[in-house]
Amino acid sequence: MTDNSYAKLMDPASERAKRGAFFFLILFAAIIFAMWDLARFLWGGTAVPATLNMGVGVALTVLMLVSLVPVMAARKKLDQGDDAGIVSSLATLIVVSLVMAGGIVYSWTTLTIGSGYGGIYDITSLWFLVHFVAAILALLASIMKITRTPERAKSERWVSYNVLTFWGGVVILWVAFFIVFYIA
Amino acid sequence: MATNEIQENALNNMGVDKTPFAASMLFPLFRATLWGLTGYFAAAWITALLFHTVIVNPLPATVGYVVGLICWLMGSGVWEGWIRRAFGGKEAPTYTGIERYFRFGPDSKSTAVRYVVLNIVTFFLAGMAAMAIRIELLTPDSTSWWLSEIQYNQTFGIHGLMMLLGVVASAIVGGVGYYLIPLMLGTRNVVFPKLLGLSWWLLPPATFAVFMSPTIGGFQTGWWGYPPLAQNSGSGIVWYVLGAATILFASLLGAINIAGTMVYMRAKGMSLGRVPIFVWGLFAAATILVVESPATYTGALMDLSDMIAGSHFYTGPTGHPLAYLDQFWFLFHPEVYVFILPAFAIWLEILPAAAKRPLFARGWAIAGLVGVSMLGAMLGVHHYFTAVSDARMPIFMTITETVSIPTGFIYLSAIGTIWGGRLRINAAVLLVLMAMMNFLIGGLTGIFNADVPADLQLHNTYWVIAHFHYTMLGGVIFSWIAALYWWFPKVTGRKINEFWGKFHAWWFFVFFNCTFFPMFIAGIEGMNRRIAIYLPYLHDINLFMSISSFFLGAGFLIPLANLLYSWRYGPKAEANPWGSNGLEWQIKSPTPYVPYPAGTEPEVVGPNDNYAAEAKEPVIWVPTPSK
Repeated sequence: MTDNSYAKLMDPASERAKRGAFFFLILFAAIIFAMWDLARFLWGGTAVPATLNMGVGVALTVLMLVSLVPVMAARKKLDQGDDAGIVSSLATLIVVSLVMAGGIVYSWTTLTIGSGYGGIYDITSLWFLVHFVAAILALLASIMKITRTPERAKSERWVSYNVLTFWGGVVILWVAFFIVFYIA
Repeated sequence: MATNEIQENALNNMGVDKTPFAASMLFPLFRATLWGLTGYFAAAWITALLFHTVIVNPLPATVGYVVGLICWLMGSGVWEGWIRRAFGGKEAPTYTGIERYFRFGPDSKSTAVRYVVLNIVTFFLAGMAAMAIRIELLTPDSTSWWLSEIQYNQTFGIHGLMMLLGVVASAIVGGVGYYLIPLMLGTRNVVFPKLLGLSWWLLPPATFAVFMSPTIGGFQTGWWGYPPLAQNSGSGIVWYVLGAATILFASLLGAINIAGTMVYMRAKGMSLGRVPIFVWGLFAAATILVVESPATYTGALMDLSDMIAGSHFYTGPTGHPLAYLDQFWFLFHPEVYVFILPAFAIWLEILPAAAKRPLFARGWAIAGLVGVSMLGAMLGVHHYFTAVSDARMPIFMTITETVSIPTGFIYLSAIGTIWGGRLRINAAVLLVLMAMMNFLIGGLTGIFNADVPADLQLHNTYWVIAHFHYTMLGGVIFSWIAALYWWFPKVTGRKINEFWGKFHAWWFFVFFNCTFFPMFIAGIEGMNRRIAIYLPYLHDINLFMSISSFFLGAGFLIPLANLLYSWRYGPKAEANPWGSNGLEWQIKSPTPYVPYPAGTEPEVVGPNDNYAAEAKEPVIWVPTPSK
């Protein structure tokens, strides 16, 4: 039966529209990181400080790449209409977010913010931290909506899709960050 | 009109809340204010205690602002209207009556009305700052009896920032655009209604913070916020940075909705060629915000980091102050196109309906709007020719002057539309014609600013002030008021008083030109901008400008009174008072909470600007196809 409630009538966008329009937000976020990736060479030169822990950087990057596995698993479940099946994948991503946040905070202790490189590294990674906090909230919201109101979650599946798209975008941006700040 | 009767009957059966206004409806506003202030002071005091500093220092002010903003949003209804539901909590009730104007909600129309109210309030407050500036300049040195030099600096900084980001940035896009974009595209709402609702609720605390910045030390930099002065001229700069960034973020949320709604939610049959020209103008502005505002965000955050975290992006041994200029102007030159492109599009939307002729060279007009937005991305450097190397000058001079080509398309389209037509001149059309005249002067004088040899002489003189006010006040604000008059019946179901509308238009036009045209002369004669004390030989011309500005400022009470009075007592308007073919006019006026009933969709079957006698209706109403 068609839902003609006010809430539904006044939120008329299709799932395609919700998922498509979300890319404008992703584009905006990507350009911010691109600006800072470029700014790294203006403020930090081409050298990487010896105090920066390369091992931690590599580990965090590998973790981000591995996190694409639960993302793909969750997308597959969503495509199959199995909303409840994605909860464990989303919970895994929350754990990854917490580890990433810890890694970022640790890396701040290895650099001096007043130095050119330290400043641009810290502010860029701080912005990643903001994204991970946002990711934790969005993942938690998706999990709670699926477990508490499964019907509503099913009719608003675009939310879970967008959370996963967001995560995919953050992975790409993190890899670019690693290349620019640790290797280049 | 038959279609409206169908809508009316169906919509009357939907049981919209018709409860009259009661003071209890203001509860979310009071709660938001209480929570916001409590959050601010609690967070700022705790931060000050932890870091052994005072509450007005940059770090406590920053933490307080962020916490206060979140608390304000929660109090406004974001918690029960969005967050609680997003986490699987219970649904919030839908507010369909007057109450929806005073709390967070997904209705784009009430969001737009809130934008209009906030823009008017901000305009009057920032306008009072302008009056204070002109009082200061009544005599060559008024610092002994009016504003000190420091107060003068704070005043023009607040005036500039608030007029730009608090008024023109959202006047047309927010107050007019968010109301009309779903109706013009044939959908009931935008793609992310809650994000759009959120965009407005970000504005009051941001605007309040900028106006209140003198209470924590103010800022001396003007609306640019250039370092290193920014870091050395009072903690108020923190609220400038945070307020500006918040307003820009609100604009971004709107831009995502504009772009997403236009791309994905057009009515059946509405090809890109049939998209209303006003929506094209909004879309061109939205792309600028999505693509170019990141540079300025990064600049704002880095500037803030220098102030509160000890980094040295723009000051100290690793600082690059010129980089801030690049980041700032990368958006803030194109930002003026965010302001003016929707104004251009308003001209092109109103003139065909007023002249009952199709929009001339429609494709070229769209190319003009998109062309300006694309070229505008590449020319911010002309704002600081005096600070960059010679190699950059001719490049940016050329690109800047190239902008006149797509702008010319827009002018030719407007002139071609009314050429040979029979223009019905009401107050809105009169204001559009005046805006075209004003912007023509503003645009032509801009060529001199872009031209390097002339710019090196005119930089930071009153010539620049005159040019800018001709484009923004003369172009955008004239068009904004025109739009408010034109679409007033759509929102309220009533018409404005045409006599007072035209009277105000002429008053505005005369005193606007008396105030700002002499600034070109004063600039050439050597009057520098941003100075409280000037040389005595410039006294007469400043006296004339100040007196004219007082008349200009007082004149704004006329449209305010006209809008308020007409909203309550104006003559009732028919559903389509201008005989426009626009899709928004095919819907009942004032627009119901749900613009058209469930099970009904518009289908576009022809261009919306064909006013030939034998032309068919451009829109038909069809049943919503079942999924």
